[in-house]
Amino acid sequence: MKNNVKVARIKADLTQQQLADSVGITRQTVSLIEKGKYNPSLKLCLQICYAVGATLDEIFWLEKEEHE
Amino acid sequence: MKKITDERLIFKNLQNIKVTYIVQTIGILSILGYEFVQGGLEGMRQNPLWLVFILTSVVYSYLSMSVSIDHEEKIKNPKKSLIISVGILFLIVLVIGFLTAITPNFGWLDGLFFGAIIFICGFIPCYYIFRIRLKQEEDIE
Repeated sequence: MKNNVKVARIKADLTQQQLADSVGITRQTVSLIEKGKYNPSLKLCLQICYAVGATLDEIFWLEKEEHE
Repeated sequence: MKKITDERLIFKNLQNIKVTYIVQTIGILSILGYEFVQGGLEGMRQNPLWLVFILTSVVYSYLSMSVSIDHEEKIKNPKKSLIISVGILFLIVLVIGFLTAITPNFGWLDGLFFGAIIFICGFIPCYYIFRIRLKQEEDIE
């Protein structure tokens, strides 16, 4: 799964720690999500979207080969 | 201590528990195996760890039933499968009860008693599966 969390977070002027605190996860998890090493649950995806003020499709998507 | 709310860490914790469970089971089996070699089947069964092992196996089997039912390719009618299961169980109980009754030093009362125990022990998982299938049917609707 690909994501734009890092870009959206910087646009929202948030640090990894601030984003982590606002959605109740650790900074390490935010870092792993940004690197694409951890796929969050739909609930966490939505929480991140609300925290950075973006929609789900702007932040998370699947590459064509991933959903085929 | 602060409650862990990070889903990744909760999942990691569950994986750690899985590894711990595997190690614990290997330990229990090793001790029981040693007891079996030392004192035979009776010696092994006298160890309280035998009860722990049987209890955890039963709990695991019951928990696995819901997974097995969700994994079934074809959805079965709960009532029909309960009737079939209880029918087969009844046949098994009849055979075992009869065989016990005709065994020397055992009477018809022993056969009935033994059969009743097997019927109760067999009926509980059948009914449990019936309940899970009913719930599955409701969820699909």
